[in-house]
Amino acid sequence: MKLRKLVFAVFGLLLLTTSGTSFYRSRHLEEAVVLSPGVSEVKKLGDYFEGIRGTVNDCNIYIMEGEEPGGTVFVMGGTHPEEPAARLAAWILAENAVMEAGRLIVVLSSNRSASLVTRVGGAYPPDFSIPTDWGERTFRLGDRWADPLDQWPDPEVYIHYPSGQFLAFVDIRNLNRTWPGRPDGSLTERTTHAFMELIRQEKVDLFIDLHEAELQYPVISTIVAHDRGEELAAFTSMMLSDMEFNMGMEYSPPSLHGLSHREVGDHSDAVSLLFEAPEPFLDATRGKTTREQLLTGKDEFVVKAGKAGLLFEKMDENGWPVDVRVGRHTSAVLMTMETWSELNPDRPLRCRGVPRYDEIIALGLGHWLHDPSAAPPERVEIE
Amino acid sequence: MTRQSRWIVGPVALTLMLMTGVGSVQAQDADVVGETPVLLTSCGQSPGPTFVKLFLGRLEMDFELLDQATAQDLIDAQSAGNPFKSIIIVTGASLKGMGAAGVSMREELIRTEALIAEAKGQGLTIIGAHVEGMDRRAQGAAAGDNSDEQSIDAVMPFSDVMVIRQDGNEDRRFTVLSEAEGIPLILFVKNMEMGDAFGRVLKK
Repeated sequence: MKLRKLVFAVFGLLLLTTSGTSFYRSRHLEEAVVLSPGVSEVKKLGDYFEGIRGTVNDCNIYIMEGEEPGGTVFVMGGTHPEEPAARLAAWILAENAVMEAGRLIVVLSSNRSASLVTRVGGAYPPDFSIPTDWGERTFRLGDRWADPLDQWPDPEVYIHYPSGQFLAFVDIRNLNRTWPGRPDGSLTERTTHAFMELIRQEKVDLFIDLHEAELQYPVISTIVAHDRGEELAAFTSMMLSDMEFNMGMEYSPPSLHGLSHREVGDHSDAVSLLFEAPEPFLDATRGKTTREQLLTGKDEFVVKAGKAGLLFEKMDENGWPVDVRVGRHTSAVLMTMETWSELNPDRPLRCRGVPRYDEIIALGLGHWLHDPSAAPPERVEIE
Repeated sequence: MTRQSRWIVGPVALTLMLMTGVGSVQAQDADVVGETPVLLTSCGQSPGPTFVKLFLGRLEMDFELLDQATAQDLIDAQSAGNPFKSIIIVTGASLKGMGAAGVSMREELIRTEALIAEAKGQGLTIIGAHVEGMDRRAQGAAAGDNSDEQSIDAVMPFSDVMVIRQDGNEDRRFTVLSEAEGIPLILFVKNMEMGDAFGRVLKK
């Protein structure tokens, strides 16, 4: 009896040690950012709202002043870190974009706490690596929600502020359910409040929130547009569909609260858009939850779901590789800037150095991720 | 296409799209030409009417967009002495769009049926439009949801002419309907050709 207890205790300790080590490494994995020559300033979110300063969500804000005046566009990655193409597309911007006209603000870890943890009980890989021209870069996988270690406990019911709408309890840690936030709220609510302050103080004209979606979700491969962004989104959608890849458009429902495409537009002067790219990793019918599945977007079970008519996007044995998903986002951002400039010639946005869809597919997104060890230390930031 | 050429081609294409009237459109003889003013509406609350609106605006057409236009709107316009002469009903269902409008697909179908009946009664030219390709074909809110197809069934057989983005006709659904019912079919390939397509079926 004693021996059996001892064996179980040792086995439990072994599990605790190995998993604990993995969790610790995941939470403390440092991700480097080699600043683009276009980055003129790196600020912290806490510079805009004292209530977030020094917290886990006091993330970096990369600002690229244009060579000529123009509008201001804010591109947000990392709202849901388990949607890595969204973060990686923002990474490509931070490491390569040079603004010729207007100003670009980029965030890579908007819910940084959520990037430090993976889905509890989801058996997610803790990280993934992207091959580059000089080696590989490793990134945290992250989760959809902020780490319970950073924000706990969850309420029985999450009542969204200020609408009073009832939402799922766990979504009080979901950055895309807590807009526009509040200064004395939870960590995630304070984070969105800080971003709203950034948007107001920096006089952002155009806000773009990058995401990925499961193929069983009807809002996929699309732009979700606030009322004031409908014309911009419609033109961008049509141009992308004509020239690069199919891209739809959806209206932001006025009664669905807490989401960036609704609240940023309602509570600031910025036009707000949200982009969705397909990510089979998120599908409930997926097979093994592995790094390979994450990066190749291949999954035989999701293919079967497609054959059963359960998907809202095409899915075959080619999958949805991360290069395709990142390329969709960079092209969509660039096309939005071009369309914006046509519709708002007094506030142009012109950018160079950022690869489009076909370039990323041809060369791989790692081609645009630079070697931190070869860069001057003052041009390297840690996420 | 190189990055440099894309920066040239992109704005040029966008400018052409804004100007409209550029590109080739496959069509039967468009002997149905509606007059203005035009009532533009939706059956299914997809963003399609927003796409059409952009081109009608560039064509300087006299039109009004009412996402949930009713038969009463047609009656009111007639009573006011400024009746609509044509109506464009854009098909395709959007869960977000219907949610935003606070309507169900069933309500959309009831509204559309009454709208078409009134339009027929007033002698309007009815233009059925499907402009978002396969994104709005049988890809409803859940498996088995055929809201897109319901919206097409509610509008297209009663139309005087159909304007369709070609990739939405990959199963020849609209071609079959056109041949069976004798409804002229205007197909356009690229979005930037949409203005040309509507220019063929409407006169100012």
